[in-house]
Amino acid sequence: MDEKQLNLWQTVIMGALGLLVFVGGWELLVRCDFIDPYFLPAPSSVLNRMLTMASGPEAILLEDIKMSASRVLTGFLTSTLIGVPFGLIMGMNSHIRAALNPIISIIRPLPALSWIPLSMLWLGIDEQQKYAIVFMGSFTSVLVYTTDATMRVDQALILAARNLGASHLQTIRYVVLPGALPNILSGLKVVLAIAWTCVISAEMVGANSGLGFRIWTAKEWSDTGQVLVGMLSISLTVLLLDILFRGLERLLLPWQREGRRT
Amino acid sequence: MSVPVIQARNLNMTFFTRKGSLGALEDFSLEAQRGEVVCIVGASGCGKSTFLNIVAGFLEPTSGQVLLEGDEIQGVEPRCGMIFQDYSLFPWMTVLENIAFGPRLKGASRKERHQKAQRYIEMVGLEGFEQAYPGELSGGMQQRVALCRALANEPDVLLCDEPFAALDAMTRQIMQQELLHVVSESQKTVLFITHSIDEALILSDRLVVMSARPGRVKAIYNNDLPQPRTLDVQITDHFMKLKREVWDLVQEEVMGSMTALQRVK
Repeated sequence: MDEKQLNLWQTVIMGALGLLVFVGGWELLVRCDFIDPYFLPAPSSVLNRMLTMASGPEAILLEDIKMSASRVLTGFLTSTLIGVPFGLIMGMNSHIRAALNPIISIIRPLPALSWIPLSMLWLGIDEQQKYAIVFMGSFTSVLVYTTDATMRVDQALILAARNLGASHLQTIRYVVLPGALPNILSGLKVVLAIAWTCVISAEMVGANSGLGFRIWTAKEWSDTGQVLVGMLSISLTVLLLDILFRGLERLLLPWQREGRRT
Repeated sequence: MSVPVIQARNLNMTFFTRKGSLGALEDFSLEAQRGEVVCIVGASGCGKSTFLNIVAGFLEPTSGQVLLEGDEIQGVEPRCGMIFQDYSLFPWMTVLENIAFGPRLKGASRKERHQKAQRYIEMVGLEGFEQAYPGELSGGMQQRVALCRALANEPDVLLCDEPFAALDAMTRQIMQQELLHVVSESQKTVLFITHSIDEALILSDRLVVMSARPGRVKAIYNNDLPQPRTLDVQITDHFMKLKREVWDLVQEEVMGSMTALQRVK
C-alpha cells in the first residue's frame, strides 16, 4: 500500500472527529425525535446518568466496577499463575504436551457461559463461583498461548546458553522465560479481554453486584439509560486495563521498546 | 608435540530422515594443537557445521569420538565456546550482560563479572555500548559481542561457524585481525569453518579441505604464509598459488557433487 501514514496528532484528530460525528449524530437523532429516548437515550443523558451513579454517598457505579474488576483480576491472576508454569512445561516437553493436548482440546472450545450451571451447583452464587467462571474461561487460553510462546523460543539461543555452561534450570530461567515473555504477554492481553466477557456473563446470571448485574437489573426495569451506562463502563474499564497492561509490557520488555529496534 | 587439544577420531555421522539416510561425515579425523588455528573449507552442505556441532557436543556422532585434552566429549561442552554465524546474542540482555553471562552462570559476583566483561568490551572497542541491546547494534558490533561472550567464558577451544559470513568485506577484515590478535594473545585453539578460501588462508595455521557430502578430509595444508597476512602477503605468488590449489580441490568436489545430482535427476 502506498497510502501515506498519519502522524500521532493527525491520528488523534481524525479519531476525535469520528467520535464527534458518531456521538453528535446520535444526540441529534434523539433530540429531533427520530429516536424515542425510551429505546435509546441521548449520549448527554447517558453521561448525566453516569455521573449521578458515580457520585453521591452510594456511588453504585464505582462499587460495581470495583466488584467486577476484582473478580476479573482474581480469576485472571489464578489462571496466569497456574497456566504460565504449566504452559512452559508443555512447551518444553513434547511428551507432556502430547498427553495434555486432547484434554485441552475438549475443554478449550467450551464458552464460559456453559460452566455457569455446574459452577452454581458446586459453589452457589458467591464470589468463588465468579472466580471459577473467569478461571475456566481463561485458563486453557493462558495454557495454549504460553505453550505456543515457549515453543517459539529460538532454539539457537538455547544452544548458545548451553554452550556457555547453562544447566537446564539456568537455561529455563535466563533464556526460555525471557524469550517466551513477549508472546506470553501479548497472549495474556487477549485473555484479559476474554476474562471480562466471562465475568459479565456470570454476573448477569447470578449475582447481586457488578456491572453485569447492574445491566441485567436495568433491563428488568426497562431502564435503557442504566444499561448503556453499564456497557460504557465496561468499555472504559477494559481500555484502562489495556493501557496499564501496555505499561507493564514496556516495563518488562525494555529491549523491545519502540525506537530501540534498528 | 604434546597431546593435541582436539582429536576427532573416525567420525561418522548419518542423519535419518523420512526420505532415507543422509551421510554427513565419513571417517573424519582431525587434530588441533594448543594455539593452532585450523580452518576447514568445503562446499556448502559438506558437513562442516555438523563436525563443529559434534565438537560442541550439540550432536552425537553415529560412530567415532572427539577427545578434548584426552577426554571424550559427552554432552554439551562449555570448554568449546561456539561463535555462531547469526551471532545468537540474547536480545533481552544488554551488551554487558551478554558478555558477563558465562561468568554469571558460574556464580561470579556482579562486580567480578562486570569487570571481566568490561575488559573484553575495551579489547574490541565497544566502549559506550555497554548498556545497548543487541538489536541496536550493527552486524559487525554484534559479532564482536559474540566473540567477547565466548572469550569471557574462558573456553580452551573456539569453534567458529562461518562467523564473519554475514559481514561486509571491510568489517570482515577487521574482525579477522581482531580474532587473530585475541588468539595469539590467549593461545586459544581455534576450529574455524568458512567457505571463503581467502579467509581460510589469512587465518589458518593449518587448512583442511573437505570433500563433498559425506564429508571426508580431502587434503590438509600447512599454511606457511608469513604472519601477519597483510594485503602485501595476499598478493604474493605464494598466496595465489595456494589459493589456486585449494580452489581447484573445492571446485572438483562441487562439480563432482553437481554431476552426481544431475544423474539422480
